[in-house]
Amino acid sequence: MIWRNYLPRLRRFWRVSLQFRTVAITVILSSLAVGVIGAYMSVSIGSNLFSSRRDQINAEAARANLIAQQLFDAAPTTDDTNPVELQTLGVNVQNAVSSSTTSPGGTDIALLRTQGQPLTPQSLQPTSSRNFPDEVVTPEMREQVAGSPGRVLLQSVELPNAAPGIVAGSQLTVSNAGSYELYLVYDLSDAQRTLGFVQQTLFLGGLALVALIGGVTYIVVRLVVGPVRLAAATSEKLAAGELEVRIPEKGEDVIATLARSFNGMADSLQQQITKLAELSRLQQRFVSDVSHELRTPLTTIRLAGDVLYDQRENFPPATARTAELLHTQVQRFEVLLADLLEVSRYDAGAVELEVEPTNLVRLVEDAVDSMSALADERGNNLRVVAPGGYFEAEVDARRIRRILRNLLGNAVEHGEGRPIVVTVDSNATAIAIAVRDYGIGMTAADALKVFDRFWRADPSRQRTIGGTGLGLAISLEDAVLHEGWLEVWSESGRGTCFRLTLPRVRGVPIATSPIDLPPAEPVVELEDADA
Amino acid sequence: MHALPLGVSNSKTGTMTARILVVDDDTALAEMIGIVLRTEGFEPIFCADGSGAFAAFMDSKPDLVLLDLMLPGKDGIQVCAEIRAESGVPVIMLTAKSDTSDVVRGLESGADDYVVKPFNPKELVARIRTRLRPTPSGVTDTLQIGDLDVDVPGHEVRRGSAKINLTPLEFELLLALALKPQQVFTREMLLEQVWGYHYKADTRLVNVHVQRLRAKVEEDPDNPRIVMTVRGVGYRAGSSG
Repeated sequence: MIWRNYLPRLRRFWRVSLQFRTVAITVILSSLAVGVIGAYMSVSIGSNLFSSRRDQINAEAARANLIAQQLFDAAPTTDDTNPVELQTLGVNVQNAVSSSTTSPGGTDIALLRTQGQPLTPQSLQPTSSRNFPDEVVTPEMREQVAGSPGRVLLQSVELPNAAPGIVAGSQLTVSNAGSYELYLVYDLSDAQRTLGFVQQTLFLGGLALVALIGGVTYIVVRLVVGPVRLAAATSEKLAAGELEVRIPEKGEDVIATLARSFNGMADSLQQQITKLAELSRLQQRFVSDVSHELRTPLTTIRLAGDVLYDQRENFPPATARTAELLHTQVQRFEVLLADLLEVSRYDAGAVELEVEPTNLVRLVEDAVDSMSALADERGNNLRVVAPGGYFEAEVDARRIRRILRNLLGNAVEHGEGRPIVVTVDSNATAIAIAVRDYGIGMTAADALKVFDRFWRADPSRQRTIGGTGLGLAISLEDAVLHEGWLEVWSESGRGTCFRLTLPRVRGVPIATSPIDLPPAEPVVELEDADA
Repeated sequence: MHALPLGVSNSKTGTMTARILVVDDDTALAEMIGIVLRTEGFEPIFCADGSGAFAAFMDSKPDLVLLDLMLPGKDGIQVCAEIRAESGVPVIMLTAKSDTSDVVRGLESGADDYVVKPFNPKELVARIRTRLRPTPSGVTDTLQIGDLDVDVPGHEVRRGSAKINLTPLEFELLLALALKPQQVFTREMLLEQVWGYHYKADTRLVNVHVQRLRAKVEEDPDNPRIVMTVRGVGYRAGSSG
């Protein structure tokens, strides 16, 4: 349960923290190494301890056998020896053997008569020291001991108190009393304790070593990661616009080089940005100055032209026509200037949206109304189809009106007198306006260029409404400023459809447009049926 | 400071033509505007720089001021504030910029209306005529709006016995609301009725002037009782009494 909570966090930490990863890998690998070494040492020390103890026991048992045999030999027993004397001899032998071993208290002794031998005139009762663990001497061992006189046999056993032990067995011969087996049981728990102590020391030492390695790695990684982290934090600040942040440069090492090159980069970035900001500021100033400087004389010209135009009836025909031309061309100049200024304002990034709640359906209807006189003149039937969009959208109404004026103007100009359908619809994320004409259309290649400045579909084509060639470029900028889309579909002979899609709520990205592009064709039928 | 002259003193007599002070540093434009104004029957007076504009205003006592926003010496916004401190005479700004901040600053300094260069003569004259037209006289002589008394023929607004000085534009705005206390006015309606725009114009004109009006007539402008906001629609008069 707790694992389930911690595991993802640990995994994330692993992914995120280089420091954690490095320390973890180091600790795991060094634990493996220390573990292997420790295990090897523990095993080899253990086997060494055991074999040296066994050799010692072997030698001791042989000596004990020798002493016992000598004692028996020194007291030759005859057929009529008193059994009590013989018994005393057995006890003497037992004592002598006991005192000859290195660990007197720890060794148990048993003297057993070998089974299956013919009856002898005398016999020694089996004797054993107190607490002799009879069960450790197995019948198999006794058989082996009986079958190999003059040799000491050793066998590892488990003592009744669960300690490891060794039983040493050898054969004795007592004259007139047959052969006997001498068993010595040695307790190895002292060796076991030594081994345990060594293992514990190894384990604790290994643990300390791993912890030490982990700590050292942590510190080293920190030394290296620290500056990198600082560099990352500093570049984040730099990206956020704090152009004056720098990394402190200390020393001559690779970290200092990193700091120096980073600071160099920051310096040049700051210079570039300051320069660009200055350029942009100059550009905006220029736009503003041009705006004033050009508009004032243009206003004078306009006023003069209009005064002349108003009196043209009093002029001779040539002068009257001149006044008319002056009037219309000044107007055209004015529109062009306004568009140019708008474009340069966009280029300088000096535009701001003035959003207000606007009912786009009503706005579209207004725009269509103001265009209907011109459309009627061309025989276009302007229609609004609005399945959706009846709510207040947060848009800059002036800019949307301007986009619509451009799109409608284009549609009327290139619509060949056929119907023009304006569709308004909305969905969860967006509201869209599409202007569809069934006029001459364009090739796909041309459609790609419609938003280019001063681009004309066909230079020879007569311009009657008289756009500046900047209208669609500005419309696109207006749409982008709203975080919206302005797209076109067109096909030669089938007409054109412009679709403007705006986010329903400011700042919430558009998922899909509510109107299809290329346009769904049933619109034509509906329109034809209505017309 | 003497009381603000309300109404249009010269034109009221009917014998004299309205005098218009044109403050513009571009002499060609000023002269051209002069020609247009004379053709329309106005009498233009000229001033070419900002620092002399206020003196020229005090000397000539014009009926209306056409004020360029960018002037040498002192900028148009300052000049406008100086004139407003002294008089309620209509001020129309001539601006080369349609940039939001300049227009709003101009309106906030007290200009009644603005015309963006390049303008045509008809547009300019229409704006001037709207500002010079006499206030439509109501059927009643005195109206109530909130706790204010509006004396229509006398062009006076009082709260109790205290007189509140309004410019003619502010008076007209208040009057428009007071004449139809039940009506909610959209910004477009007010633009048409008070400013004489018959097409969609800049609604900031209404917003800024409502603010200025409230600053004068409301006891607490943040919590208006006279000029009420109807959210999403526009404004209406506060109930009287």
